[in-house]
Amino acid sequence: MTSIGTGYDLSASTYSPDGRIFQVEYASKAVDNSGTTIGLRVKDGIVLAVEKLVHSKLLVPGASNRRIQTIDKHIGLATAGYLADGRHLANRARSEASNFREFYHSPPQVKDVTERLGQYVQVYTLYSSVRPFGVSTILGGVDKTGPNLYVVEPSGVFFGYHGAAVGKGRQLAKAELEKLKLAELSTREAVFEVARIIHLVHEDNKEKEFELEMSWIGAETQGIFLPVPKDLHQEAEEKAKAALDNFE
Amino acid sequence: MDHFPTNWGRPRNDAFDAYGTYPIQQRPNNIKDNFNGVQRTQQPIVTGTSVLAIKYKDGIMMAADNLASYGSLARFKDVQRLHAVGNHTVLGASGDMSDFQYIQSLLDDLIIEEFTEQDEHTLGPAEIHEYLSQLMYGRRSKLNPLWNSLLVGGYKDGKRFLAYVDLLGTTYSASTIATGYGSYIAQPLLRKAVEGREDTLTEREAQAILEESLLVLFYRDARSLDKYQIAKVTESGVSISESMALRTSWSFAEGIRGYGAQTQ
Amino acid sequence: MFRNTYDSDNTVFSPQGRLHQVEYALEAVKQGSAAVGLRSKTHAILLALKRSTGELASYQQKMYRIDDHVGIAIAGLTSDARVLSNFMRQQAMAERMIYNRPIPANRLVSSIADKAQVNTQEYGRRPYGVGFLVIGLDKTGPHLYEFSPSGNSYEYFATSIGARSQSAKTYLEKHYEGFADCSLEELITHGLHALRETLQQDKELSIKNTSIGILGPAGAHETGVPAQGSFRILEDEKIDVYLQSMVPKELEAPPITAPPPTAGDVDIQMTDN
Repeated sequence: MTSIGTGYDLSASTYSPDGRIFQVEYASKAVDNSGTTIGLRVKDGIVLAVEKLVHSKLLVPGASNRRIQTIDKHIGLATAGYLADGRHLANRARSEASNFREFYHSPPQVKDVTERLGQYVQVYTLYSSVRPFGVSTILGGVDKTGPNLYVVEPSGVFFGYHGAAVGKGRQLAKAELEKLKLAELSTREAVFEVARIIHLVHEDNKEKEFELEMSWIGAETQGIFLPVPKDLHQEAEEKAKAALDNFE
Repeated sequence: MDHFPTNWGRPRNDAFDAYGTYPIQQRPNNIKDNFNGVQRTQQPIVTGTSVLAIKYKDGIMMAADNLASYGSLARFKDVQRLHAVGNHTVLGASGDMSDFQYIQSLLDDLIIEEFTEQDEHTLGPAEIHEYLSQLMYGRRSKLNPLWNSLLVGGYKDGKRFLAYVDLLGTTYSASTIATGYGSYIAQPLLRKAVEGREDTLTEREAQAILEESLLVLFYRDARSLDKYQIAKVTESGVSISESMALRTSWSFAEGIRGYGAQTQ
Repeated sequence: MFRNTYDSDNTVFSPQGRLHQVEYALEAVKQGSAAVGLRSKTHAILLALKRSTGELASYQQKMYRIDDHVGIAIAGLTSDARVLSNFMRQQAMAERMIYNRPIPANRLVSSIADKAQVNTQEYGRRPYGVGFLVIGLDKTGPHLYEFSPSGNSYEYFATSIGARSQSAKTYLEKHYEGFADCSLEELITHGLHALRETLQQDKELSIKNTSIGILGPAGAHETGVPAQGSFRILEDEKIDVYLQSMVPKELEAPPITAPPPTAGDVDIQMTDN
């Protein structure tokens, strides 16, 4: 980036001469350095998975220190980037979902929450008095239109996906996602796929310990967004490791 | 027309209201002026009658009929007055039904908020009851009460819970509670049947006790209905039954003068 | 003066996507004297090293009671800690008022973490310059959390913050697997051993410079502790018995060779990488 140090990259409210907003691009850098997060939209549901890099062995594994957040009964969210920013956005998404319910007396679609969250994120790219969010957010859930998956970028832009990957290993993860027949997979099968992919992308980052975190929603969870149950989690992780050994 | 059902059937005061326009035209509105101040809820409009609840061996059981009255008119006959709050609690309401619906939406939001935390903490009946009592007392202190008598029953961590809170914020807890007309008619029956037997009453017995009380209430309470639901909360969670019909018998009325066809 | 142009304002990302002001705030935590926290199946405890500015001065306060079931130890700017601990007390009291229950400790920690996050994103503020160790006791058992100015919070089996805390962590990493089944007395001894690692060369732990915070049932040397094991802070003569229980450092086998404390201490990481 040749514009570094020219002074056009110090504020979100400044364009560079060629029309870029560098602060937003730098925010995306924070995302690219973080553990990989992927989301899958399949036949009857959604699976979200995070490669949670563990910075100390003194950390309590499992339920505490979560990276996947619950937004509403039927919507979940996973972030890559600054964890604290991710929590901020999760809180915002929760209040948007709750506000929607209060106003319309009906559960929000994933798109409704995503649109509002996208607007919120975009506002932080307009002013020098704030910095953009250092996170990419994957939102997933099952609503009256079926399973839906969206990604909100630090710029506030969002798109719907069948399969999405953000964070350090996104390139490899995306290549793997493209090989899957997502429209034919069940949510349970998808759990095995995401576990395998997260383990695969971690190969490039092997010096760091990690913990696999997965949540899902689908026919098996009665339309409720929940952490993947312990036994299934374990089974998926074992299979992922086995697949990795064969791969090599 | 006088839209306020509590005025219906009462003698009109011709001295100042010859044409029956009060209270509509005269009704204080909510516009603030320097002389009259503001008036808020003065009375319930669409109301539900008694709720009954008892403790029994496996948890608590609660019953309410399906009627929402508009004054003395039996206006809505398929209203559910029992509401599950999370997996451990049931709420029963008498009094104003729109206020009850508002309370339901508050609690539904609260439960979702709690669910999204995804930690091992959940709101049980004791916490829901505390929340409601703060809500009701807060509203009455603003002179804007939610016009209800509420029963909160539940089962969590091996403990039964049953308590009352009303539009004044008054609370109490007992092993049998009834609201409204039921507090006069059903409560003595419930006490007699339940007190001292809370740990031995079976589900079938508990249901029979409630149904018997509902039947008595249906005979005596002109704002009640013979269609009702029963909720139970046990170790395994909340379940609310479909609507059921009371089996009434009117043969006793034969000899009552003024009832049915009179021969003379 | 500045390391670069991207570090004078917390609303600016560096080209690498880093937030220098936040990283500097994490350094402020390391200016404070160390605190150690650890937990067993039954207890969670805090230990802290108190500084005094001179012979005639008292020792600083390192621990605060938030509620019966929550206590904290701080490292960094005390004035920031008082703002945050006040907020925590309010949250705890509100939970008791509205729901009549003790506030879940994890939510209490999240609430200040969320507050801290805002200070990393908006102009005209600075990140908090203080880190907390928070212990909490609820129906899921005893817990230990770390809060840091970046707005992150984590749950640990055992950890340490403040000056030379890396040395304490090295001790804890070596022994933490045995903590779960420790008695309160054993746990405190481990905590003191870890805290000792953070001392400067010629200093040692004394009843004056050490605080111990405890959650959980009364220990063998304690009296007057409520049945639910409310948070209490032990200082002065009360901790003598625990100091006596320590194994002199030269006898501790194998001797722990702590890495020399350096400026490049990688204590707390800003990013969640």
